[in-house]
Amino acid sequence: MAPSSSSSGHGASKFLGDLPSRGFFSSTVPSSNPGSMRVYICLHDTAPPEDQEIKTNQQNILIRSLMLKNSSSKDGKGVATGESSRKRAGEKISDSRAKKAAQVCSSKGASNNETPTKDLQNLTVERLRALLKAKGLSLRGKKDELIARLRSADG
Amino acid sequence: MLDVPIYGRIATLELFRPHGEAQDFLFIATERYKFCVLQWDTESSELITRAMGDVSDRIGRPTDSGQIGIIDPDCRLIGLHLYDGLFKVIPFDNKGQLKEAFNIRLEELQVLDIKFLYGCSRPTIVVLYQDNKDARHVKTYEVVLKDKDFVEGPWSQNNLDNGAAVLIPVPPPLCGVIIIGEETIVYCSATAFKAIPVRPSITRAYGRVDADGSRYLLGDHAGLLHLLVITHEKERVTGLKIELLGETSIASTISYLDNAFVYIGSSYGDSQLVKLNVQPDAKGSYVEVLERYVNLGPIVDFCVVDLERQGQGQVVTCSGAYKDGSLRVVRNGIGINEQASVELQGIKGMWSLRSSTDDPFDTFLVVSFISETRILAMNLEDELEETEIEGFNSQVQTLFCHDALFNQLVQVTSSSVRLVSSTTRELLNEWNAPSNYSINVATANASQVLLATGGGVLVHLEICDGLLVEKKHIQLEHEISCLDINPIGDNPNCSQLAAVGMWTDISVRIFSLPDLNLLTKEQLGGEIIPRSVLLCTFEGISYLLCALGDGHLLNFILNTNSNSNSCELMDRKKVSLGTQPITLRTFSSKNATHVFAASDRPTVIYSSNKKLLYSNVNLKEVSHMCPFNSAAFPDSLAIAKEGELTIGTIDDIQKLHIRSIPLGEHARRICHQEQSRTFAICSLRYNQSGTEDTEMHFIRLLDDQTFESISTYALDTYEYGCSILSCSFSDDNNVYYCVGTAYVMPEENEPTKGRILVFVVEEGKLQLIAEKETKGSVYSLNAFNGKLLAAINQKIQLYKWTLRDDGTRELQSECGHHGHILALYVQTRGDFIVVGDLMKSISLLIYKHEEGAIEERARDYNANWMSAVEILDDDIYLGAENYFNLFTVRKNSEGATDEERSRLEVVGEYHLGEFVNRFQHGSLVMRLPDSDVGQIPTVIFGSVNGVIGVIASLPHDQYVFLERLQSNLRKVIKGVGGLSHEQWRSFNNEKRTAEAKNFLDGDLIESFLDLNRSKMEEISRAMSVSAEELCKRVEELTRLH
Repeated sequence: MAPSSSSSGHGASKFLGDLPSRGFFSSTVPSSNPGSMRVYICLHDTAPPEDQEIKTNQQNILIRSLMLKNSSSKDGKGVATGESSRKRAGEKISDSRAKKAAQVCSSKGASNNETPTKDLQNLTVERLRALLKAKGLSLRGKKDELIARLRSADG
Repeated sequence: MLDVPIYGRIATLELFRPHGEAQDFLFIATERYKFCVLQWDTESSELITRAMGDVSDRIGRPTDSGQIGIIDPDCRLIGLHLYDGLFKVIPFDNKGQLKEAFNIRLEELQVLDIKFLYGCSRPTIVVLYQDNKDARHVKTYEVVLKDKDFVEGPWSQNNLDNGAAVLIPVPPPLCGVIIIGEETIVYCSATAFKAIPVRPSITRAYGRVDADGSRYLLGDHAGLLHLLVITHEKERVTGLKIELLGETSIASTISYLDNAFVYIGSSYGDSQLVKLNVQPDAKGSYVEVLERYVNLGPIVDFCVVDLERQGQGQVVTCSGAYKDGSLRVVRNGIGINEQASVELQGIKGMWSLRSSTDDPFDTFLVVSFISETRILAMNLEDELEETEIEGFNSQVQTLFCHDALFNQLVQVTSSSVRLVSSTTRELLNEWNAPSNYSINVATANASQVLLATGGGVLVHLEICDGLLVEKKHIQLEHEISCLDINPIGDNPNCSQLAAVGMWTDISVRIFSLPDLNLLTKEQLGGEIIPRSVLLCTFEGISYLLCALGDGHLLNFILNTNSNSNSCELMDRKKVSLGTQPITLRTFSSKNATHVFAASDRPTVIYSSNKKLLYSNVNLKEVSHMCPFNSAAFPDSLAIAKEGELTIGTIDDIQKLHIRSIPLGEHARRICHQEQSRTFAICSLRYNQSGTEDTEMHFIRLLDDQTFESISTYALDTYEYGCSILSCSFSDDNNVYYCVGTAYVMPEENEPTKGRILVFVVEEGKLQLIAEKETKGSVYSLNAFNGKLLAAINQKIQLYKWTLRDDGTRELQSECGHHGHILALYVQTRGDFIVVGDLMKSISLLIYKHEEGAIEERARDYNANWMSAVEILDDDIYLGAENYFNLFTVRKNSEGATDEERSRLEVVGEYHLGEFVNRFQHGSLVMRLPDSDVGQIPTVIFGSVNGVIGVIASLPHDQYVFLERLQSNLRKVIKGVGGLSHEQWRSFNNEKRTAEAKNFLDGDLIESFLDLNRSKMEEISRAMSVSAEELCKRVEELTRLH
């Protein structure tokens, strides 16, 4: 397959040496018939331990992000010390969406992106849908999603 | 090994070890957004649920490219990609417990693969995605658990191979990721980028060989296995190397096990266990296939036939895909492979004898007739030849024969018991029945004889060296009908128990030996006398089997206590095997003991997981059977059938037998023609010539016994075989194969041209008789009122078979019906036509003879995307759809208004969890006309995953009864991982979810038989039905398949 294989002559032999053996096998001869498998019947209670029934945090991603920023600014910015360079643009902006966009985009050097997003937020859903349609994107979902979609299309 | 039912379609399966745990846990996520973490408890041998949950979101578009579930190598979190644009995180706390999950917005909408990177201080994912311009890139993100958000990762790589689809994270010390494309393979990390070109191929699976990640196995779409090597100097990657190892099945998963053994899991062919050899074989392959594990999937089409004409169906499937395509013959029951046979009328009994006690092989076969006994033996040419044992009386019927200790043979006739030396063949001793009494029944083992004379006298003789010693005789109140002293204790030559069946009081009794004390007695009930009793041991459990004169078999567990010399019969069970008297005999196959029940429906009784199972033998009627293990025919059975004595070997003792006929090409449609004893298949072959992949489509004719291809008709370029049918037409006695085709042009969305070809089989050749061009793809063909009904794109078209002036025949269009998106599946019954549409569910059409027109009568207005339809009866139609559901609809002929009558009412809904490709009426088991289940109609289905299943239309009262049983079983049998059976079986598609109705889960119901006694009693109490009755009803159900 590889161009090199024809030239090397020995092919794969030199790479197939010392294949790992971790002693998993009691016998190297496969049994001729593994036999019919017993069907497991579960008679004990299978409910998970009390706190291990996992649910998804239902808080909207954007609101969560907003809350996080709020609390972190109260905390004296303890959370985001590592990201202070990115935070600069976002700190004063109350709209967390813009904050997130800034975060994501700052690495691409497009940190001025918050303005169009904010503009989008002020548009009506109908207007957003029209924009989406013009770009050939799906028109479904809530306003936040529409904005996110527009943004990701732009980004 | 265990087979664990999971209530869901498994989307991802990952093994991981949380911090502080001594063993790995298993993470399973199902396609319906449930997940669970399982632990195997070795002490109790149970699966413990460590965590479970629902990971669905109310909004979100399910991913197109499949669900992804991954676990951070340092076990900090589980990542799930289930909806476009969202990445779900389930974090672990530092004790290894899971915490609340949360979503993170993922900017990339068309994700192809996501993996966690090794050796990162913060959990880091690498995402392979496609952008709006169809270019593919990878990008990394770090997951910040505290902020519940991503931050940009350490590196990214744009504009990869257009076919890049698989990411392989490389473990430390190298770290980084390998990106497998169709033309290049790339190694990528923050510090290095290495690429090599490869011959175009689509990699389907990979498996890591070394723990340090320096070697990987790659499996491609053509089934070629490659070794990918990362060359490195210490921790610096210097390059990549790829080497072809050889060919396997087309791999879906590759697991390096150990010691150069590799498991190739395949969904297109059989899975394999292979060994990698350092030196190539003669063909240059480093791969040695050691074992194959049968996989029927994907079953694209199948037919039900009765090839041996025994009234028992076999399923012949089109299985596998691409080069791994094959036909599979699936049959129920155990086959006898005939080795030799002679014509012999009126056999009354058969026994095999050895020429000396320690001879491993049998030499003589004693065959008893009504007024003589013949002795057959193997001669030097390995032929059965009549011989003589001088000491035997061959002028009368033999009642029983057996090898005895001290190189002796025993023959029991109606007047005496003869002890004969097996070396000199001379009579050593004779025990004569009392005058005016004759011996009616007798049995013997190596050291004992038990016989019964008229008048109900039971006599026990002991076989000594050269001498028969009468030990004891007793008088019973009734005549004796059958006896057995098969040793089941520690001593294989001597029994401590005797089983005796009685006339008149219809009982079976257990006596002790040698003193003939009555230990226990069981009234059988009814008026049918026991005709054969047998003591035997399966898997360490002793049983008493008792066969009645009407084909029923009773079995009891025999509990013996040698100290107190007592014995009891427990767990009485009754099954019906046939309608004629049964004769029971033990035999051995592959070091296990089984019982052969000879009757009009011969059956092998065996034990699996300490449960007795019954399997049909594929023979019509057997009067007697005895094991005959001769040097020429090792491990064989001698079988007396009507007028014939056969010697043959027996198949492996298991329920289903699958024969594989590899085609090397992909069969897509199959049909059988009784008259020409042939199969016809539509198949396609992929040719790789240079860089171009081409497909060739064929119609092939196969012999239905040998499955050899006897004739081939090649279709045109771009022409696909879409449907095939064997039928005849009115005013024509010939039987034809009709084939519907489509010209699939690369530039067209839907085919606009096709053909119907009519073939006749002449001298084993396909002869084209007529052809008719159509305006689309012929998705389905049905014989309909002596005419041909075709589904062509959105139209149903009826053709009649007309005679031209010159005597040739042609298909002439008669009428049609428009109004479907694509009429993919069509079934007919009388004048009714049931159509399964691409996306408009089921509609019912009717053909009006007077007007010569097809009209729509009713339809189901749901938007189901159909994958198969079948007509269950006049009013109920069955459908399978795209989201793995089954449903039934009912014709509403009694509706008050036209509107009601034009609606097909949905009556049944069920989530099968399998993608069904085909339904066929039929059954894999022989139906006994007198049994209750013989009347229940069944439909067989075949699915993409290779499942063959049976759907039975139960009578209403039985349905109600079993539904109660099912709901009680749900309370007792818990879903592994806390998954709910009720939720799993609920009808579910992208629009709605509804509780299952009018369908029952047979697998769940039949697991009742595997419950322990106390759980059975628990259910029995809840239902107020005796456990025995429940067992009987469920066992009846198991005989449907």
